[in-house]
Amino acid sequence: MTSVTRSHPPFDPELAAVLAAMPAEMFGPIVIEEILSHRETILAQQVVPDETLRRGGAIELEERRVPGPPGEPDLTLLILRPANRTGLAPGLYNIHGGGMITGDRRSGVNGMLDWVEEFGLVLVSVEYRLAPEHPHPAPVEDCYAGLVWTAEHAEELGIDPDRLAIIGGSAGGGLAAATTLLARDRGGPALTHQLLLCPMLDDRATTPSSQELDGEGVWDRNANLAGWTALLGTARGGPDVPPYAAPARAVNLSGVPPTYIDVGSVETFRDEVIDYAARLSQAGVSVELHMWAGAFHGFELYAPQAAVSQAAAEARLSYLRRAFGS
Amino acid sequence: MRELLGRLSALDHGAESAVRVIAYFDALIDGHAGLDALVRGAAVLSGCPAGLHDAARHLAIRIDSEGHRLAASAGPARARWPVAALDEAGALVWLERDDGPVELDAMIVERLAAGARVVLDRTRGRAATRDPALVEVLVDRHADADTRARAARRLGLAAGSSARVVATVPIGEGGALPAVLRRRHTLLGRVDVSVVPHAADWTGDPELARRAGIGPPVPVEELPMSWEGALVALRLTADGTALDPGPRQLRHAELGGLALLATSVPTAAAQIADVAALDDLGRQLPWALATLDAIADRASLRRAAASLHVHHSTLQERVAQLARLLGWPLDTAAGHHRLYLALVLRRLHRNGELPTLAG
Repeated sequence: MTSVTRSHPPFDPELAAVLAAMPAEMFGPIVIEEILSHRETILAQQVVPDETLRRGGAIELEERRVPGPPGEPDLTLLILRPANRTGLAPGLYNIHGGGMITGDRRSGVNGMLDWVEEFGLVLVSVEYRLAPEHPHPAPVEDCYAGLVWTAEHAEELGIDPDRLAIIGGSAGGGLAAATTLLARDRGGPALTHQLLLCPMLDDRATTPSSQELDGEGVWDRNANLAGWTALLGTARGGPDVPPYAAPARAVNLSGVPPTYIDVGSVETFRDEVIDYAARLSQAGVSVELHMWAGAFHGFELYAPQAAVSQAAAEARLSYLRRAFGS
Repeated sequence: MRELLGRLSALDHGAESAVRVIAYFDALIDGHAGLDALVRGAAVLSGCPAGLHDAARHLAIRIDSEGHRLAASAGPARARWPVAALDEAGALVWLERDDGPVELDAMIVERLAAGARVVLDRTRGRAATRDPALVEVLVDRHADADTRARAARRLGLAAGSSARVVATVPIGEGGALPAVLRRRHTLLGRVDVSVVPHAADWTGDPELARRAGIGPPVPVEELPMSWEGALVALRLTADGTALDPGPRQLRHAELGGLALLATSVPTAAAQIADVAALDDLGRQLPWALATLDAIADRASLRRAAASLHVHHSTLQERVAQLARLLGWPLDTAAGHHRLYLALVLRRLHRNGELPTLAG
């Protein structure tokens, strides 16, 4: 398939500087085979030890084996909650990112512990089966099963069942959006909010922004096609992909909980995120959309000190305060 | 084996790290990042707080290695911290390295200083005034169009945009140039030549202790013409004192035919008789010139009296006296015109030492 790479908006100067200063290999083409062959090593390099997560005793950490989808293996939930909790607290169900093919229940969790402390919330992070070994529907059904278990055992976990929200970034954002649609269509569990951070929503990859990055930035069009293909195989981009695999394909977006959704302006996902936000709004959903100028995918993880990264963290915290603060 | 995820954080020593420091700051400059981003980059790459202080430009920035702003300080608090100068006026940048020294610090602080200088040149000029040589080129009709276009760009004037020249000289000891006239400015002879974008809309300031000739607004490519107009107008101004009555600030647009007169009269010419007569009168009677200027300038004797703060009948007596001394009537239209022209010619003569644009 030949296509001309469209030009993209410029990177934020601080983020461009990060791209320039990091080892070149880190931003080169993502080769799925390489990731798969070294997956364990990659995850081991990124592990955050228990004592870091416990924050000197301020946070309790628990791992639970819970039933998976019917007829499928059990799965593991990581549960983090404030040590000195009283009564029932809001719950946040987290689905990690990693392009559908990597990551684990601890990926990115360290960055959410401030919320556990500030809001006294209970963070539940699910370990879902990864593609390509486990293509759709395994990942999203695992996420849904973990959510159902969490809601059914809410009080035991210290969660107020009427204050359960869902969050996910990148592939986790796509899975969170899909899990939310499943929860709506299967009659539960009830979710108060969904937070979709740079979510991966559209396997068709035909939007203008999905063509803009070719060997540049983070998660370019080649990586995107590879990630979706790992999840969907040859069905990718075709007529048989359901919205629970690619939420952008959902026709009916009504009845979805209030949504926070963000994306960088120099991302493959930019246009599908803006479109999803628009269509949610048109279906009567309360949406807060942030597009971060000059930001590439995952910018906050690579350069948390940059001004735009700080702004993104502030905006998200502001929304959480409005969501959980009452 | 590649890492999939990494975080930009403090680099340690080594050639590879040095290359990355350079790449980082180069990218910031290419991306037109500001001072905050530069200081923040230095803090992140070094792993300790970084600071910038420039008293002359009222700048004080301190940021820690997490990118958070800290309370500003008037300079590095410890003598052993790595420091680099931004200019000769005491502006500095530094790293707050207590557990040092770290080899890479010198490079980081030097790259920070180099970057800050580029930003300050681009945004604030050197000591708030852009290079005077550029202004000189811009108003010089003998300079070729390309050179003038480059000068305009470097002075931050967009091609085709509108601007004017304001030519001023101080009155007495006062008359410091206001910022709007200082921003793009040079001195030609004893005239301060300022280029002002039309958007700044400067058409005179009665509070300013300066005489000003305000050239017409023109496209920046034609500023030499506005300079000529400003100079013509300037030559028709006066200090506005008893010995040198007349308008302090004139716009070229309001000169009318006087502009032609001003360009035609040779400045070093021998005095015209009427002008000599005015000079004599000014030496004899201290109130004479101000009175004659008021008569020439006002539509009626009554208004002239009011502007002089004298009684109308007092002024009538004085006018009669002056007419006798001058030798021509001051109560006829012709006499008025002759007086007006004499006063203008006197101003031109007194301004004879101002530069002309001959050849």
